[in-house]
Amino acid sequence: MQAEAVGTLAVRRASERIDERELIRSAQHGDPEAFEQLVRSYDQNVLRMAFNLLHSQEDARDIYQEVFLRVYRNLPRFRFDCSFSTWLYRIVANLCLDQIRKRKVRKESSAAVETANGELDRLQFIPEHRADGDPQRQLMSAEVKTRINEVLDELTPRERIVFQMRHFQGMRLRAIGEALGVTEEAAKNCLFRATQKMRAALGDFV
Amino acid sequence: MNCHQVQVNLSLYLYGELDFAQEEALERHIAGCALCQQFLAREKAWHTGINSGVSDAPLDLLMQCRQELRTVIAQQGAKRNTSRLSRLGLSRMGWTGLFGVAAGRWSVRLALASFLVFIGFTSARWFQRQSLTDGMNGGAISAMSVFDPSSAHIRDIRPADNHQVRILVQQVNEREVTGTPQDQSIRELLLAAMQDPADPGIRVDSVEMLQGQGGSDVRDALLRTVRRDPNAAVRLKALEGLRQFSSDPTTRDTLKFVLQHDGNADVRSEAIDILAPVNQRFDITPDLAVTLQQIMRSEHENDYVRARCFQILRDVNAPLDVY
Repeated sequence: MQAEAVGTLAVRRASERIDERELIRSAQHGDPEAFEQLVRSYDQNVLRMAFNLLHSQEDARDIYQEVFLRVYRNLPRFRFDCSFSTWLYRIVANLCLDQIRKRKVRKESSAAVETANGELDRLQFIPEHRADGDPQRQLMSAEVKTRINEVLDELTPRERIVFQMRHFQGMRLRAIGEALGVTEEAAKNCLFRATQKMRAALGDFV
Repeated sequence: MNCHQVQVNLSLYLYGELDFAQEEALERHIAGCALCQQFLAREKAWHTGINSGVSDAPLDLLMQCRQELRTVIAQQGAKRNTSRLSRLGLSRMGWTGLFGVAAGRWSVRLALASFLVFIGFTSARWFQRQSLTDGMNGGAISAMSVFDPSSAHIRDIRPADNHQVRILVQQVNEREVTGTPQDQSIRELLLAAMQDPADPGIRVDSVEMLQGQGGSDVRDALLRTVRRDPNAAVRLKALEGLRQFSSDPTTRDTLKFVLQHDGNADVRSEAIDILAPVNQRFDITPDLAVTLQQIMRSEHENDYVRARCFQILRDVNAPLDVY
């Protein structure tokens, strides 16, 4: 029975992955189940990206809602001119860029994160890795981590989002360019500037 | 490529964003240049360091977002349907208005309802007969009325005789099953859901539902989750479920493994609290003491786990380095 149940789940998951296009078409025809499956395929990545960019649960939640509401409202007009993920990440990137720009005005503290228990240091959320004799990890003292966060906050909004998409989301530069509506070369230059700044700022630390 | 060109391109190289020729030239240069090898090591160091800075959004936040989105979309869908009806002028008129009947009198309503039931029954019989006739004539499945294309995957399409087409359809039918976690079928579904690779939310929910349930099948599933689940929140939840099995030797071995090897500090803290509950009497075995001593020697262990190890070893008068 358990094997059968695992099999059923596996078939369900496999059939979810088989054809995203069909899923989108069903959602366009008003199938709520299809829309929900579509959301679940991407929402963890969207939320993680917003959370890591904005360092705030509240803002990440707002971005999540706004992104998927826009997808819901505009999905009937989606014509497969680009991939669904490109379209989705374009929405995410634009909303996050707006939010970061607003933040820049307020100049928030770089290492502070809002949580249910109040404001905490962002470093507490950094997954800790056990010492295993890896000299690279030993270099990562708390001081270096703090400096990295400071430098990330000093990047321009566009540099920061490109860096986030490439480094944390693992997106290719071509996809990043498509999502931001710029050429691959422009995205590459943006990433280049971001990494140059990181390198220069961390030169004394590592 | 010279040293300067290599150094400015190191990041793009690590991201795999250089073209093939550039990548080869860079690797050739690095192989023979000690200075650039140093720069590469440094570049890798901060890349790795920043990698450790990425954090998953909390699972409860994800669940909350999904719930809120579902609610908002349900509201929007309802509004949309209402406005469609308004546009058609149906919402105020009522369904009886469609038939040009005033709905004020009960006798008229009853007659109309009986008429609709009669129409429904007769047409169902007629369609059933028609579909059987089609099936006998054409030999093909003509039950498309019970077929839901949105939950189906088409596996194969072939031409058939008489200008017909044969379609092989794989359809997943969703079912709702209700019962208590003690029911065998529910229990097996929950155990299976604990291994669902796609959705940590489903895994957390299934672990939660199985908490407090005895039995080696539950214990083994929890042990597997604690050792292998990629999501720290799911591992933490499974550890909570393992508290009731804390005296079991297999469970204790797994907890020791977690204490030494898990990458998440909260998970390790939970593991040591189960192995050696705070403010409770417990027996410390030699192998547990050795594990604690190993952790004490680990320079980068988090403060809480180190403090607990120190306290436990001190309480049994064991040396901190050699037992």
